[in-house]
Amino acid sequence: MFHLELLVVGLIWGAMYAMMALGLTLVYGLLRILHVAHAGVFALGAYAGVLTANATGSLWLAVPAAIGVAAAVGPLIYRFIYAPMLSRPPYVALIASIGLFIAMEDGFRLLFGPYGLPFDYNPWFVTTYSLGGISLNVVQIAMAVSTLVLAGAFGVFIAATRVGVAWRATVSDPQMAQSFGIDPVRVRYLNFAIGSAMAGAAGLLVGLLNNLVEPGMGAVVSYKGLAIIVLGGLGNVPGAVVASLILGVVESFGTVYLAAVLDRDAIAFAVLIAVLLIRPRGLFAPAR
Amino acid sequence: MRYSHHTPSLVKGLFLASAVALGGAASAADALRIGFHAPLTGFAAGDGKSSSLGAELAAEQINAAGGCDGRMVELVIYDDQAKADQAIPAANKLLGEGVKVAISGSYSGATRAAAGVFQKAGIPFISAYAIHPDITRTGDHVFRTSFMGEVQGRAGAKFVGEMLGHQRIVMITLNNDFGQSLATGFKQKAADFGIEIVSEYSYSIKDRQFGSIVAGVKRDAPDAIYASGYFFTAGPLVSQLRAGGVEAPIIGQEGYDTQHFIDIAKEAAEGVMITTSLDRDSEDPEMRAFIDAFEAKAGFPADMVAAATHTAVRVMCDAVARAGGDDPQAVRDALAATKDFATATGRISFNALGEIMKDVEIQVVKDGAYRHFASIHDPELLAPPSE
Repeated sequence: MFHLELLVVGLIWGAMYAMMALGLTLVYGLLRILHVAHAGVFALGAYAGVLTANATGSLWLAVPAAIGVAAAVGPLIYRFIYAPMLSRPPYVALIASIGLFIAMEDGFRLLFGPYGLPFDYNPWFVTTYSLGGISLNVVQIAMAVSTLVLAGAFGVFIAATRVGVAWRATVSDPQMAQSFGIDPVRVRYLNFAIGSAMAGAAGLLVGLLNNLVEPGMGAVVSYKGLAIIVLGGLGNVPGAVVASLILGVVESFGTVYLAAVLDRDAIAFAVLIAVLLIRPRGLFAPAR
Repeated sequence: MRYSHHTPSLVKGLFLASAVALGGAASAADALRIGFHAPLTGFAAGDGKSSSLGAELAAEQINAAGGCDGRMVELVIYDDQAKADQAIPAANKLLGEGVKVAISGSYSGATRAAAGVFQKAGIPFISAYAIHPDITRTGDHVFRTSFMGEVQGRAGAKFVGEMLGHQRIVMITLNNDFGQSLATGFKQKAADFGIEIVSEYSYSIKDRQFGSIVAGVKRDAPDAIYASGYFFTAGPLVSQLRAGGVEAPIIGQEGYDTQHFIDIAKEAAEGVMITTSLDRDSEDPEMRAFIDAFEAKAGFPADMVAAATHTAVRVMCDAVARAGGDDPQAVRDALAATKDFATATGRISFNALGEIMKDVEIQVVKDGAYRHFASIHDPELLAPPSE
């Protein structure tokens, strides 16, 4: 029973990581940029959510606010930060991304204070359901369900729609795709909008789960997200999801059984190192 | 980054420049400049803000009352991000600014690092609320105006085992200097107070999600939980324990001691008890005056961190006044001779190691605020080491 509960907790953590890692791996697959500032978008979604919820008293309004703000800001980051640097070596964009992330963290701290913002009213956190003896609150259920729905919808979108085909074509060969009349810039905007929307949703859910939205909340997911997309094979979308779930479960058991030796983040990186020793390209093949 | 207390640094720079140009000893040159480092950015920026506000309040009050031995107090504040590797350059910059006395408004890691710098430079240094035992062992210029971690841990054991009568305890320990020294003290005395430690979980300061620990605590079904943390970890931890159906009493420490903890945990915070040095219901005029003045200045209720830096600034000023100036050696000797000095966190006297001895306050969260629950007066149990 206890182990089943740890497994469920781990899968929920994994779902949270997956929502973050999807956007990261999409950007990497398309532009070969490590989008560190994605974690800033995650925190931005959380801030948009908590400010809306506290202003209106409605958590339901917080959802579109978090997703909408994040989905709007992601493409702007592409337009004003990455697009001018695409002809430069990839580390230039990486440095810009790290700089943007630090600026966003400190911006949140200056604008909304160093103490963080709790939700005034968070019924989803205290409403719990018991499923087979394991009690889960609505936020945890929402985390798992939204990851399933978003990842599923994304899979269908990629496989079965015209835009999805254009996307895949652009990822695998941008020049060829362009000569067939696909506009790669539109694909990039779409990419940033979708990835950022997921990060915004994840930020809101994590904020609800902690009942606290803080300036530095993106820090942990930023480097863990990078570990996950390496683990899953850079740019590989299903790989990132599987790697997220594995990491979540390993952390859940690890925080109980290994905490005396390794802390939670060390566990994540120990797994990463172990996998890379055996499979240097990650669990699954990288994109392309 | 440098933050000036009185005037924007540009304005002050011009003022200092003109003072030098005129060749006269302007009043700014006479100010008592107290070096102060705190985490103004980074994960601990909340506590850094409270600690700076507490210190600034003390400086304002001292200045309004005519200054420290007739000199205006000016805080020279540097950011250390609560990191040891940032605290050393911050301490060196303070030395470069020529401060002759210094205070830490930061956490244990940063304070231990800075203590070495100030000790080597012969500058008297007070740790306001960093609790690691090695801080005062750095040398004879280092003092601490709050409880050592171990002392507070021992008080926690007495409170849980003897006063509340709980036996089967789960420990949830924050894995840093703060949590570990509390856990050490708690474990030292646990058996003496009839406590059996069923299991101990640990978490890192970056963790906010405790699902696996909650599952473990449910399995252990303890009589009570002794959990260390700061408001930003303890808030989520306590909320998640209660939302997961854990009903055992939770005992925390001074890291919880701020209204922000209650704002995060809300109903889940009700009944949480902590060991600390700030008594919200105190009749003591010093404590009352601080609690009221802080809320008026900050716009939110006083917390332990602010009370601690307020105390440290006042203790330092008292020593400077008795030393008749800020000669570092004279101030050090005056600090060491501090006797029964009344502050917002109780009466301060130092032992040979620079540690204080005072009662531990127990506060409980009731109707969304910290209230008095008990005081532990036990000189034998609470005696800090003297070497």
